[in-house]
Amino acid sequence: MIKKTKISQAGDNRMKLRDLAEHLGWELKTRNLTIEAEVKTGYASDLLSDVLANSIEGDLWVTRQTHLNIVAIAVMRDLSGILIASGAEPDPDTLEKAAEKMVPIFRTTLPTFEVVGRLYQLGITGKR
Amino acid sequence: MLELSMHILDIVQNSLVAGSTQVEIRIQEDLPKDLLVIEVKDNGRGISDAMLPRVTDPFVTSRTTRPVGLGLPLLKEATERCEGCLEVYSEENRGTRVVARFRLDHFDRAPLGDMGETMGILIAANPSVDFLYEHRVDAKIYLLETREMRQVLGSIRLDDPSVLDFVRQDIQMGLKKIGAATFPKIMEVLR
Repeated sequence: MIKKTKISQAGDNRMKLRDLAEHLGWELKTRNLTIEAEVKTGYASDLLSDVLANSIEGDLWVTRQTHLNIVAIAVMRDLSGILIASGAEPDPDTLEKAAEKMVPIFRTTLPTFEVVGRLYQLGITGKR
Repeated sequence: MLELSMHILDIVQNSLVAGSTQVEIRIQEDLPKDLLVIEVKDNGRGISDAMLPRVTDPFVTSRTTRPVGLGLPLLKEATERCEGCLEVYSEENRGTRVVARFRLDHFDRAPLGDMGETMGILIAANPSVDFLYEHRVDAKIYLLETREMRQVLGSIRLDDPSVLDFVRQDIQMGLKKIGAATFPKIMEVLR
């Protein structure tokens, strides 16, 4: 029997945002938002135009940017959530708008390279 | 760099290393033209005509041959990433003027960052240098001059911790009052 929370190999895999956050110890910065969305893919970049051009619907976006515009990008591209890396703190108005637009924002103290590696191990890929 | 204030700090460090006693920082937001201009002008040693064309090439940089680090190449890249440009004017023994232009609301224009903190640190660390910081949003102006501050402060020195707090708060409140753009407006989608 394969348990629901079992960690499997990279490939066609789905994990809920909630499972990822729990497993990797992220802090959930937005309140009252559902984090039950399943995540298959991710994108990592700090250049907003690059994310706009190259992210795909459902991506979990890993970035060091913290300002309000990250919410705009997430809404435009229908991303499943934003993970702020390197322990950076999102601006208060970023969180306010994220709550309004229902974009979950997480925070990790790990740098981008490290956290993306861990995501890949959990089966989240950068496939386009 | 993630914030423009970090670029400004870097460029002003160049001015200080070049022995400047006056540094003027002017930021102008021209909303109708969708333009952001950052100017740093000093009265330092200046850059020789031979070196001037190469100041934005990161590979000719050597701190022993000229007082410029990666600051200018990185600022140039930051401007060009958002349809802007960098201009450097200099005259030996007279000073240098760096002008960085950005499209104000370009997606990749870095946020302004904390100019209060940046100016506070610069002033506190260099109490004998005359700093001017002017920030315009169309016709609205915020202005801070250390020469003026010294007159008001009397015996209190510019490196007094209370001065750092004052500068930080005065700038933060002043910029809010004139409606300074902390980051590009790409929020149409969110309205």
